[in-house]
Amino acid sequence: MDDFNLEFFKKRREIIKTLIISPLISLFYPVHASSGILSSPIGTNRLRPPGAVSEEIFAGKCIRCGRCVEVCPYKSIIQLDIKNGVYAGTPLIIAENIPCYLCMKCVEVCPTGTLRKIKQEETRMGLAVINKHVCVTWKGETICRTCYNVCLFKDKAIRLDELRPVIDEKFCAGCGLCVHGCPVSYKDNLKAINIEPIYSQNGKSE
Amino acid sequence: MNISRRDFIKKTAALTAASCAGITIPLSICNEAKAEEADKWVRGTCRLCGAGCRLELGVKNGRAVALRGVTESRTNLGYVCMKGMLFYKIIGHPERLTKPLYREKKNQKFKEISWDKALDIAAKEFAKTAKTYGYDSVAYYGSGQSQTEETYLFQKIFRVALQTNNVEGNPRLCMASAVGGYMTSFGADEPIGSYSFIEKATCFFIIGSNMAEAHPVIFRRVMRRKLDNPKDVKVINIDPRISPTSRIADIHLQFKPGTDLALMNAMAQVIIEEKLYDEKFINDYCLLKQQGEKDVKNVTFEDYKKFLEDYTPEKAAKICEGNITPDKIREIARIFAKSKATLSMWCMGLNQRIRGVWANNLVHNLHFITGQLCKPGADSFSMTGQPNACGGVREGGGLCHILPGHRTVDNEKMRNELEEAWDIPKGRLPAKIGLHTMAMFSAVNEGKIKAIWINCTSPAQSLPNADLYRKGLNRDDVFVVCTDIFPTITTEHANLILPTAFHFEKTGVYGCTERRSQITPKAVNPPGMAKPEVWIAREWAVRLAKELNDPIALKSVEPFLGLEDGYALPKAIWDEYTHKTTKNRDNDLSAASYEILQEMPDGVQWPAFTADFARKGGTEIKFVKGIDPMADKESKDDKPFQFYGRPDRKLYIWLRPYKGAAEEPDAEYPFVLSTGRIIDHWHTTSMTGRITELMRANPYSFVEINPKDAEKLGIKPNDMVEITSKRGKCIMPAKIIEGPIEGMVFAYWHDMHDDRMINKVTKDAFDPGSKEPEFKICACKIKRVSGPVPLKPYIVTI
Repeated sequence: MDDFNLEFFKKRREIIKTLIISPLISLFYPVHASSGILSSPIGTNRLRPPGAVSEEIFAGKCIRCGRCVEVCPYKSIIQLDIKNGVYAGTPLIIAENIPCYLCMKCVEVCPTGTLRKIKQEETRMGLAVINKHVCVTWKGETICRTCYNVCLFKDKAIRLDELRPVIDEKFCAGCGLCVHGCPVSYKDNLKAINIEPIYSQNGKSE
Repeated sequence: MNISRRDFIKKTAALTAASCAGITIPLSICNEAKAEEADKWVRGTCRLCGAGCRLELGVKNGRAVALRGVTESRTNLGYVCMKGMLFYKIIGHPERLTKPLYREKKNQKFKEISWDKALDIAAKEFAKTAKTYGYDSVAYYGSGQSQTEETYLFQKIFRVALQTNNVEGNPRLCMASAVGGYMTSFGADEPIGSYSFIEKATCFFIIGSNMAEAHPVIFRRVMRRKLDNPKDVKVINIDPRISPTSRIADIHLQFKPGTDLALMNAMAQVIIEEKLYDEKFINDYCLLKQQGEKDVKNVTFEDYKKFLEDYTPEKAAKICEGNITPDKIREIARIFAKSKATLSMWCMGLNQRIRGVWANNLVHNLHFITGQLCKPGADSFSMTGQPNACGGVREGGGLCHILPGHRTVDNEKMRNELEEAWDIPKGRLPAKIGLHTMAMFSAVNEGKIKAIWINCTSPAQSLPNADLYRKGLNRDDVFVVCTDIFPTITTEHANLILPTAFHFEKTGVYGCTERRSQITPKAVNPPGMAKPEVWIAREWAVRLAKELNDPIALKSVEPFLGLEDGYALPKAIWDEYTHKTTKNRDNDLSAASYEILQEMPDGVQWPAFTADFARKGGTEIKFVKGIDPMADKESKDDKPFQFYGRPDRKLYIWLRPYKGAAEEPDAEYPFVLSTGRIIDHWHTTSMTGRITELMRANPYSFVEINPKDAEKLGIKPNDMVEITSKRGKCIMPAKIIEGPIEGMVFAYWHDMHDDRMINKVTKDAFDPGSKEPEFKICACKIKRVSGPVPLKPYIVTI
């Protein structure tokens, strides 16, 4: 809680500022395009837990009870803090830190259906995308296939084509195990393989 | 590598353009583009597996900053695996041991001491023990990862100064059965052919090897060969577990673990039944042998036929179970025999078995009866696990029954040759064969060995039934010296820990699977007070000779006194080893001087006794006249092949019956446990576990369970599972995968955590011939203990 308070006071001035300015901005910009307090935390390797409803309604449906955070045996799910504005309190998985192991405990405990009760293989948190200009195997420098090794749906979601990893979107659950395992980092948090949350918008998560 | 700035920009531009267009960029350009990262690049060999990949270490301001493959090398053709690309991080690692540490009793804390004191203590303890309890109360346990110079010097000191053959090493745990197989079948150790055979083979017979993970760079060559010739090249994979290697196989046979001896005999039966054998080759070069109760009998081809009647495909399929059918056995036997060139490759799956030598013999048999040998692409080629098991230990005399230069301890003439080479009195070298690894650690348990020097390996984790042998190492009356770069499970049992220089922090030679010796020169300074093993051994031996008050003891290191430890000392040891002990032996390396080895992009394959021949790379195929100079020299008739391993110039076809594992599953322990490797880690993880990138990919061990078994037992992915055998238990997360056959579980042994160290569970039964333990098969039971639990990777610290 201390961190929370500290963060809060540090950022108080900024928050007040934002609180005043953002309604003004929102007059000129559509909501989803704004930055700061109203922008969704979802992005590359920043994922909602399995079974999440569309990001557009997520913040409205989630009651911030933290049950998913509590039940996660791997501590993969974190609860967003006040910096995240209207998304504060909602759950997030930072794939390169601790990925989702798809144990499906969180979907069982969600009281609101924000995380729908889906099966492990139906999960679509995002889609793994390989950056072939960064991946050492694709560049032909090295024989690495960590992403393939750690994948729960080996030979389906990730298969090897002449020793090089290839993703199949039919099976990729977007759990981020591959991102976490990938030994190649570039640009701070990005890896040679990253999860793009392509299903999070416009109700595509069905 | 010198490239101008303009060149570099050009190449970078090409690289960027190529990557934008999505083209796979040629390796050479990638490698040159990286050149800007370092001030200089020093060419050496990979520290990890037995493939012998050549690579270059990038050094910037005296620090190691990168590794890259050497494109001109004949072993890896420029490719490296992730381990090979990242091990430079060990060189400047903050957890490295940098000071000698000592404690009198094993429950005390370590104290830092000086080298002088440390070496005095070691010398006094070994001398005292040898004088009080006899020479056979001391022992050396080395490693297939030590450089040849190190193994050679240590065994020389133990044999000359301490007069014991208690000289062993961890290759006993990995390659001893292959040695036994080559010795009994060929009469000479080590593979005949080379990696270059891969590009000529039309059938790959991969049995008991998961090359895709254990030798990824060699596997790439096999895969390339198959993919470039999908119709002409057949890959047969035989393994009770579907492994990543199986993916390129045309035929994958999955069977009850331990029944492959019956399978290979059945293949021989089909080959003979269908007249697919090479009668001329058998008549010209082979003898048939059978082990009687007391001696070895000569038998006829008819006897062999009769013997094989017990192994018709129908009978064998019943023994093997799994997906093996009589028709499949016939099919693979036909492919094996009819292919233009069949290359067999195997590793621990055959070696780490109670009948490892027999399994090796049966592979050789298939090549002998079909004549799939000594022609380009056809060979019986055993893959080696460790980078210098062949070079250092098998050739350098690092086991209890062998001496340098492929000599045996029990041969008086050979001992005398060495006594002369080492300038010591005749009869000084002990004639009694020393204790093999399992006997050595049993003797430690019983208190018969009172002082042991463990170099560059961690037996407390790598021995089967590890807990039993850790008890012995923990005895207060057993003085344990460890020379290592990091704290390990074994250093926890040590009295004295001596910090050593790592690869590229010292100079030395590694000999890889294909008989190729390759040098790795010193490129950076070792951290703190860490020293090369050759320096440690020499300084210790000088003090030891004084303590023993024995001038002959000093002879073991006399030629090396006063030499600088970075280059001159290992060079002098290498020169003595190659000139005085390998000359005129089959592993003749007398022309492979440091100078020539450093000129080569890769190295030299023995035999090589002229400089010109060594510069060409040495002998590609052993025993073939015109290619192997030794075959020309030893030629006794006009036949094209000269199998000079034995005086009778013959290969032996052995009649070896099927025999199962030492411990078969029963009602109480219904599962078979097998252990193995994963691509990201190396053995006990004392090195790879400290590389963040590799550890993140595989932070802890897990157990693979067949989905059908998992369903029966109610085990879900990542549930914690307890694996129990009669010896111990482990708890690790489950991976439910169509890998191991039903009734079998497979665990990785790369984990130091006490809960997950699988060698507490494995069985310490060993092959009566090679004395290699059966890591691959034991009976166990499994049970779900809980749902998923977050685990933390564990690495031992001081």
